Amino acid sequence: MHFTRFSIAAAALLALAACAPPGQTGGSESNTTGPIKIANVNAQSGQLSSLGQWEHKGVKLAVDEANKAGGVNGRQIQLDLFDSQGDPTIGTNVARKIAAEGYLAMLGTAESAVTLAMAPILKDAKIPNITSGQSPKLAELKSPFLFLNAPTSVTFDETLAKYLIDDKGMKKIALISNNGAYGAGEHDAFLASLKTRNVTPSADEIVTPDQKDFNSNLAKIREQSPEVLFIGAEEVQSGLIAKQARELGIKAVLAGGAPVGTDVYATTAGLDNAEGTVVSSPYLSNEASEPIKAFAAKYKAAYNEEARMHVAKAYDGASILIEALKQTQGEGGQKLADAIRGVKRAGLLGDYTYDANGVGIHETKIGLVKDGKVVPEAAS
Amino acid sequence: MKRLVLIAAAAVAAWLLPYGLGGYAIHVADVAIIFAILAIGLGLTMGVAGQINLAQVAFFGVGAYTVAILTTEAGLGFWTASVLALLTAVVFGVLTGIPALRMQSHYLGIVTLGLALAFTNWVTNAHIAGRAEGISDIPVPPMFGVDLSSGYLFYYVELIVFAVALAFALLVTRSPLGRRLRAMRDDDLAAGALGAEIPLLRMTAFVLSGLYGGLAGILYAGLIRFVAPESFNIANMFLLLAMVIIGGRSSILGCVVGAVALSLVREALLDASGYAQLGYGLVVVLVVVFAPQGLAGLPGQLQALRRRRGGGSRAQLGPFRPYEAVPRAEERVALEVRELTMRFKGLVALDEVSLTVPAGQIRGIVGPNGSGKTTLFNVVSGFYTPSRGSVALHGREVSGLAPYQLAQRRVARTFQNLRLFEDLSVRENLLLGLDRTRTWWIWRYPSLPWKVLGYERALRARAGELIDRFGLAEVADAEPRSLPYGIQRRIELARAMAMSPSLLLLDEPAAGLNGGEVRGLAEIVRSIRDAGVTVIIIEHNMGLVMSLCDQVTVLSSGRVIADGPPAEVAVHPDVVAAYLGDSMAAPTEESAEAAVEEANR
Repeated sequence: MHFTRFSIAAAALLALAACAPPGQTGGSESNTTGPIKIANVNAQSGQLSSLGQWEHKGVKLAVDEANKAGGVNGRQIQLDLFDSQGDPTIGTNVARKIAAEGYLAMLGTAESAVTLAMAPILKDAKIPNITSGQSPKLAELKSPFLFLNAPTSVTFDETLAKYLIDDKGMKKIALISNNGAYGAGEHDAFLASLKTRNVTPSADEIVTPDQKDFNSNLAKIREQSPEVLFIGAEEVQSGLIAKQARELGIKAVLAGGAPVGTDVYATTAGLDNAEGTVVSSPYLSNEASEPIKAFAAKYKAAYNEEARMHVAKAYDGASILIEALKQTQGEGGQKLADAIRGVKRAGLLGDYTYDANGVGIHETKIGLVKDGKVVPEAAS
Repeated sequence: MKRLVLIAAAAVAAWLLPYGLGGYAIHVADVAIIFAILAIGLGLTMGVAGQINLAQVAFFGVGAYTVAILTTEAGLGFWTASVLALLTAVVFGVLTGIPALRMQSHYLGIVTLGLALAFTNWVTNAHIAGRAEGISDIPVPPMFGVDLSSGYLFYYVELIVFAVALAFALLVTRSPLGRRLRAMRDDDLAAGALGAEIPLLRMTAFVLSGLYGGLAGILYAGLIRFVAPESFNIANMFLLLAMVIIGGRSSILGCVVGAVALSLVREALLDASGYAQLGYGLVVVLVVVFAPQGLAGLPGQLQALRRRRGGGSRAQLGPFRPYEAVPRAEERVALEVRELTMRFKGLVALDEVSLTVPAGQIRGIVGPNGSGKTTLFNVVSGFYTPSRGSVALHGREVSGLAPYQLAQRRVARTFQNLRLFEDLSVRENLLLGLDRTRTWWIWRYPSLPWKVLGYERALRARAGELIDRFGLAEVADAEPRSLPYGIQRRIELARAMAMSPSLLLLDEPAAGLNGGEVRGLAEIVRSIRDAGVTVIIIEHNMGLVMSLCDQVTVLSSGRVIADGPPAEVAVHPDVVAAYLGDSMAAPTEESAEAAVEEANR
């Protein structure tokens, strides 16, 4: 009895005495030998896994090339893949994991919500992150460690609105978008662009990301007989919307962001239905320019599948990171972030010049879908 | 003492744990603790109180989102927002609980599932909740200069909250409230008949659920500092459910073990997450089939297996120690039933039945099967509301009151087909009868927990006396279902007497008893009467009725056909006709008795 009381008290004292607060000793030891650890975080499972797999292929292509060319100052780059499952909570777990395991930088994710969740942790850990997300909220965070490898939805949709309204004079515009992170971002950005032009949409239908049947939404839109139907959804869903809209006899011009410029969209919708869709994207097709053609060929040789924007922007992001690493000679932290901000690169998506909010590309191009492929509007 | 050492060892280990963990592992531990708190909440509502609640993850979300919205949009401090978040989650608990007043089991599951879906749907669409992108930049909770953005220091905050939450949950389960909740889970009708205010108890269960969900949500907001709809979706609800089921839904510690274990498994499966859901599903199926009590039930299952192999001795009843007789008070009317009619759709079960039972009498109610005897009991004890007529108890009108209200007016009953709480020990069954507190008494749980423990000790002392009196010492800690039928009958009688009733309704107490047991029963009932309790007894054993009852009422097809001293009633021509048909000649007193017994076989 006495003994046990004593031992409890002793243990308690011991605990208090040891009360230097626990923590990771050493922190991120900046070792200057051995491989440079880079994390690629993307959904490898779940609904958005195809996006995550493309992203990873693009990143890996850039890293493999750099390693083959001798790495960064003679050090190889070690690229490790983490699965975010598209879930922000898992994302925060992964963020802490890469912070604890001494990764210098992170590439990904393709889902803005996950990146938004991870950003504060990465900022605290001073780990630069080049994301494939394009939500305007990412730029609003103003984190000095967060960079986008593509324009934000605001740019996509401003360009689109400018083309449709200012250039083509179309004013009867209907919207259909999903309420997921991507769809809602597109919806808000496009609506804002309409507002600055004093255009009120004739219909504004919201669907859910896993919806497959849009007949009731589209029937409402048909009553308004709009000139333009703006689609704010991911590739497959955009294709389904286009297909069902044409089946219902909606004659409006279809328009949207990067998803409607993909082959997935065109094949889902059917080539006839997709014909003439207006695309706003920094990466219109695999034939848009000589560097892009070279990249597409390289990609096809490596993975035996067609390149696409997701791959290209992941490749661009990884290339920028590698360039910055070469400048810091493999050092991370604030120095690496500053180096990334300083990189001026003529990339596949355009010319990267980073602003204070971490946005590198500030314009998109307009293209039209012809036979399932996007051709630049100027050339048509 | 041994337990104290164990607790101390666990506390010290938990306190020292962060020193052995890396920066990522501590984050995993932080998340596991949050899920453990959630699992405790779900264990309380679903395991202990038996309310199928699939909205726990929504309460979690309400807590987290309220903190997020109030800190980022309204600019409140983290802790102020937390207090409001806790209140909001409790209010949501109450709102979710309202359907539970009307429906139970799978219907309740569907309703709560719908509410959980509605919650994620709302936050995905509401601008104030940041829609699909969620709310980021929740401030770090301030704590007297301690930097809580460190997962290590946040761990200690969580640990303290968790310890308090766990202690409170254990206090609730091991006290009168928890016992009532478990009784309600096993058999809400019987619990009501023992005075448990079922509606209030169900609300209490949901309040607890909201409380624990809100608490976990606040910690989540402080730890992750970001909220998004995906974190509170149905897949996570399933994970939570799996934690509780694998751990053992009726054991709070089991729920904690399940939550911690599954959190770690989820971490280990991070690289194979596509198959993780499949894995959880499989494990849940295996657990439900092979270990329905979960991990917490495994020791008991193994013990039972060993005992079965060893063979056991048959439990024995001890002798009954009679009550002290009190002098009979001046004659008053204990129960007055006036022109009672009970109609079920087309069927008239009771047809203008009137009955007056003086205090201190043993009244027998006999009649052929289907004559309305049990219906009469069900009306008197509040299970049915009569179509017409009235019931008065000691001169006060009580018709239309709920069973628990009648139980509080000291009406006790037993059931024709025993209704003991199967998952509670004999002692706990009796404790339920002894506990006469009202549900609002539970304000003492958070404010004066030591009073609760003191009350519980006093109850246990009285239960000990009751066990001795009814000769149940040998079986006191067994589960009723493992005992012979005769003993179960005795337990139900003891449980009814634990309520210190003024009116005791016994529905066929001798059914299934052997001769010796019937004689023992008669002795007990007489002693109960001598202690000043009015007893009404439905019985087919005419020998017992004749020798025991002061007066006998005979029902046939819902009508009173005879009422008087046993000897008179037995030869009443209508009675004989009702039992034997009118073609028979009127028998003598002795042969009537024999014939009635014959007819009942």
